[in-house]
Amino acid sequence: MTPPIRLTRRPLSVAAAVRALSGPDLGGVAVFAGRVRPDARPGGRVVAIDYEADARFARRRLAEIERIARARYGAGQVVLWHRVGRVRVGEIAVVTGAACPHRAKAFAAARYLIEELKRTVPIWKTERARRGRPPRRRPSRRTGPSAG
Amino acid sequence: MAAPSIEVRLYAAARQAARRSSVRIGAPPGGLAAADLVRTLARRFPDLAPVLRVSRYVRNDRTLTDLRTRVRPGDRFSVHPPYGGG
Repeated sequence: MTPPIRLTRRPLSVAAAVRALSGPDLGGVAVFAGRVRPDARPGGRVVAIDYEADARFARRRLAEIERIARARYGAGQVVLWHRVGRVRVGEIAVVTGAACPHRAKAFAAARYLIEELKRTVPIWKTERARRGRPPRRRPSRRTGPSAG
Repeated sequence: MAAPSIEVRLYAAARQAARRSSVRIGAPPGGLAAADLVRTLARRFPDLAPVLRVSRYVRNDRTLTDLRTRVRPGDRFSVHPPYGGG
């Protein structure tokens, strides 16, 4: 059985998440995947992101988020998966998802999962840019993270 | 026997500012207030001070909401800069 919570150095699979989000009464399945983008930065274009976590506390927080998603949205299955270590451009850094009887709660639960993960789980990122090459365009106006 | 101390774990920007991932701070057996522990860190590592101002503090896997909370030798105390998962 695929665990609902994972902090892993291994690649993440959306297909595996969809498989994990199955159950006889779970007709609504919503999955979010965040992928590392090649944003332009003053030091060059982003080629990877290094993720680190306070793993013990992060797992505790993720378990709490899972518990609330099940109670608040009636989610029968939940996935909260995040990479740690180096994640290259194009790779998936995070997968969250929920399976509920109907779509409205599945969408709401999936949104809750990713927003709460970003807000309260101790995971940090360091962008790695290609050295020695200036960005090909002006820095992005986006101030958010390069994944998701 | 070593004097009582508290191990402080530093993550991400806090680790980079202090140039280490953990540090031991001497403490009396009864511990000291989290605010005093943070002040000691800021004095010892001036580059860490701006990071401390925006960080959360975690004692024994619980986020502190009151910096008057006592931290005792043997507790796990961590400095968490703003999170950036996803």
